[in-house]
Amino acid sequence: MAKGRIVVIGGGHNGLVAAATLAKAGQRVVLVERAERVGGILRGSEPAPGFRAPGLIHTVGRLRRSVVEDLGLAAHGVGTVTSAARIHAPMPDGSSVTFWDDAARTADELRARNVHDADAYPGFDRKMRAIASFLAHVQVAIPPDPKVPSIADGMMGLKLGRAFRRLGERTGREAIRALPMAVADLVQEVFEEEAVRGPLATRGVLYTAMGAWATGTAQVFLHDSAGSDGGAAGSAVFPLGGTDALADALAAAAAARGVEIRTGTEVVAIRSTGHRATGVTLADGTEIDASAVVSAADPKRTARLCDPVTLGPTTVWRTENIRQPGAMARVNLALGGLPAFHGGDPERLTGRIVIGPSIDDVERAMDAVKYGHIAEEPIVEATIPSLTDPTLAPEGKHVLSAVVQAAPRHLRDAEWSTEGDRLGEITVKTLERYAPGLGELVEAREVITPEDMEDAYGLTGGDVQHAEPGLDQFFAWRPMFGESQHRFLLDGLYLAGSGAHPGGGITGGPGQNAARKIIKDLKR
Amino acid sequence: MAKRYDVVVIGGGHNGLVNAAYLAKAGLDVLVLERRHLLGGATLTEEIVPGFRFSVFSYVVSLLRPEIIRELELPKHGLEILPLDGTITPTDGDYLWRVNDHGKTIRELRRWSLNDAEAYEDYGPLMAEMGRFIKPILSIPPPDPGKISPREWLPLGPLAKAFKDLPTRLQTTFVQLMTMSAADFLDQWFETEPLKATMSASGIIGTFQGPRSPGTAYVLLHHYMGEIDGAFRAWGVPKGGTGAIAYAIANAASEFGVEIRTEAPVARIRTAGGRADGVVLASGEEIDAGVVMSSLDSRWTFIELLEDGVLDDDFKADVMRYKYRGSSGKVNLALDGLPELACKPGTGEWLRGAISFSPSIDYIERAYDDAKYGRPSARPYIDMIIPTLVDPTMAPPGKHVMSCFVQYAPYHLADGAVWDDAAREAFGQNVIDTIEERFPRIRDHIVGHQFVTPKDIEDITGLTEGNIFAGELSLEQLFFNRPVPGWARYRTPVDGLWMCGSATHPGGGIMGAPGRIAALEYLKHKRKGRRAA
Repeated sequence: MAKGRIVVIGGGHNGLVAAATLAKAGQRVVLVERAERVGGILRGSEPAPGFRAPGLIHTVGRLRRSVVEDLGLAAHGVGTVTSAARIHAPMPDGSSVTFWDDAARTADELRARNVHDADAYPGFDRKMRAIASFLAHVQVAIPPDPKVPSIADGMMGLKLGRAFRRLGERTGREAIRALPMAVADLVQEVFEEEAVRGPLATRGVLYTAMGAWATGTAQVFLHDSAGSDGGAAGSAVFPLGGTDALADALAAAAAARGVEIRTGTEVVAIRSTGHRATGVTLADGTEIDASAVVSAADPKRTARLCDPVTLGPTTVWRTENIRQPGAMARVNLALGGLPAFHGGDPERLTGRIVIGPSIDDVERAMDAVKYGHIAEEPIVEATIPSLTDPTLAPEGKHVLSAVVQAAPRHLRDAEWSTEGDRLGEITVKTLERYAPGLGELVEAREVITPEDMEDAYGLTGGDVQHAEPGLDQFFAWRPMFGESQHRFLLDGLYLAGSGAHPGGGITGGPGQNAARKIIKDLKR
Repeated sequence: MAKRYDVVVIGGGHNGLVNAAYLAKAGLDVLVLERRHLLGGATLTEEIVPGFRFSVFSYVVSLLRPEIIRELELPKHGLEILPLDGTITPTDGDYLWRVNDHGKTIRELRRWSLNDAEAYEDYGPLMAEMGRFIKPILSIPPPDPGKISPREWLPLGPLAKAFKDLPTRLQTTFVQLMTMSAADFLDQWFETEPLKATMSASGIIGTFQGPRSPGTAYVLLHHYMGEIDGAFRAWGVPKGGTGAIAYAIANAASEFGVEIRTEAPVARIRTAGGRADGVVLASGEEIDAGVVMSSLDSRWTFIELLEDGVLDDDFKADVMRYKYRGSSGKVNLALDGLPELACKPGTGEWLRGAISFSPSIDYIERAYDDAKYGRPSARPYIDMIIPTLVDPTMAPPGKHVMSCFVQYAPYHLADGAVWDDAAREAFGQNVIDTIEERFPRIRDHIVGHQFVTPKDIEDITGLTEGNIFAGELSLEQLFFNRPVPGWARYRTPVDGLWMCGSATHPGGGIMGAPGRIAALEYLKHKRKGRRAA
């Protein structure tokens, strides 16, 4: 394939990373973004004048180090703050549990509550780190082609094999056992206290439509710990200036490498001749020819941009069956002061505040997905970025960002247009239970429903992960079997968004992996 | 008594008997020890109500491996399987009735959905093909993923090749079956609720999962792998009840010279120098053996029957964290006549097959929700058959037996409740209430009943927590993780102690495969040993 122009669809973090990486390799890259500004889910909002709320995902601890280095993000002025408090979990009885970056510190505090759990925690943390370290290798790998495994695939296999061996026989078996487990089992067989199980189990279902007893949620938990210093408690890293600052830095890095960025124009079709993608058509009718088309949009959206006749009925049937069940809403609160969460001195509130006091509470909240209604007692992951970065809120005031579940994209007998407000109330009511008086502090409330996510961010099904991170859409079959090498549906069409391996979250992984794959293909 | 057996098999269930038969067939001197006065374990038929014979726990056969039927010549020993025709799913005011007559089924489906009738034409063959592809896995000993030596993975070679050669559509289906929820999997194909619910039900039988739990599609396949006379997905009841299977196998075993003792509960597996060399019965009697084969689940075998200090703590911990979580119960009814369905009056052939209480996915999922929070389902999923319609010998003339497999009935109840007589009675009456909604006059016909809770299953059969598969069939407890990670090869850390029950690969159901593979593995090991010596 001759060197030509490459079109990237979508200016989210993965689109920007893919574009910048390709441009750095000397490619001519045009990036098309439908919104007025690039940044995708990193784009925050202003719940009230002077308050800056983060994007749909409010921590960036999993951003790949090699992405930061390759793109020289530091030079483009992105700084981060890492909180020592990873999870602060207030309990209904007024007590609380804090999970720190330092497992020993966590264990010491647990001792007062339960000696067995205190003793078990450091070992559990070590085990999670060990398995996650192996998953980190899986995340950078490009899945093999099951049809005609290439030499590269073989090399990758050997690499993974070596990494797996390094785990040792017992940990190796543990890894194989843990991946298909339910996160509830993962924590229940180690800890006795619901106050410990619940908050940890929440990590396995956040940003998914699954409950704590769902097979494969342990894998979600472990992937969240992989490629960060997460361990059992996960990471808590905030970009200075908010997630918008990271979006700006990525955009600047892309521009600096010569990427031509066109915003406010939407791609309405991926053009193809025969079975090869030849370019895109924009809303205004403009056509851009390209030697390769890279889509950072979600898999369904990407497939729907292609000519169905070219794809054929079976492929269309398969792409339409990719599971993208959004079940998460975001609520932003402008607060007149710091809310008084149970046991929450400011330092403990600088990480993620998790409302998920027991496995049953987590499970019940997620049951709502199955019957298509909003959880009346949702699980919440809240952060107060203004604690680590005062510039995000007026003097003495704070901005609270909440991930609220379950809020299924498709409600059975209700409309999001009317349910949004109710969800806002439910969220404040829920937080109020763990932070008495929080209600009075609320100066403004902003609700981003899964429907908004679909309309404003173009996330089909309102799924921020682009595809459910279940075992059925994992590694060599993410987003679907036979389409997992970033090559997607057509020759010359690549998938670089979270719908591709290694999946969702602010990692830049899919974008970087895809760019590497494309560069390899271009050399052939 | 000084007699020393080559092998002593603990447990006279179908797997223990199959295992013994194969070992004796190979010329070994084998003794089977059964705790109860009856053989069969969970494959048991007992006369609870005078004149009425109940298949107490398991109720249909489909998974019983054909090679076992052949190699042990079970028909010659009295095994006769009477096929069940079709499944009817009553709904409110209507029903979905599928039969072995394909054309008839398609016409019935058209009543519900043209799309589903069409999809059904592709679905059946696809699943059959999948079943054929997966079958070999049921006959090979699993590798140990902890070790990455080619030797471990060699047995999988042909399988990997076979997978590579599958068309993409089948590869996709295979991956989906191994990872998806039954509901998600079926949603791709069908829209008719009673159809999806009834199909997905086979994915949750005996497990502590709901139709929307990822991983249940696999069990759906597990149930598709059954075959009777080579016909996939054919269900049947053994003439004389499931217990007849146990006795057919026992007869075969005896003919090969196996000695069988009932009412001989094993109290302890005797070890000397870390090696199992016999068993001690509750009576105190000691029996010497070259090898001890346990068909019990791993918790019984390793925690109850072995003395402390024989096993290291890591292994013990692995055994203790193995999940059982019985989730099902059984209600057996003695009837003085045939009841009629509200949605399809009369007593026609639709009552001769399975009657499935699964009107919608939500219905079963809600039943599961109850169990998740420690309550028996308010409205359970019921898989019902009336065996007397195909095998009149099970009841006095004109009378009938109704066999109801009920899910969910969680072994662990919420708020410290226990399975006492009151709980059992409440459970049973609630099941009859549920049946009454479909068979309005059922109570008029009931002349006797037996309510079986998961606790009863545990007490009677010894299956830990009443799990009918001797260990939850969840993804992380299958194949090389069954029954203990690293010990999936029927061997145990104790020399001379082997496992051969449903607790081992390929798992539960009246399949017999674990007993057979364990026997073949042991014989292979023995030959190697001799060569080495």
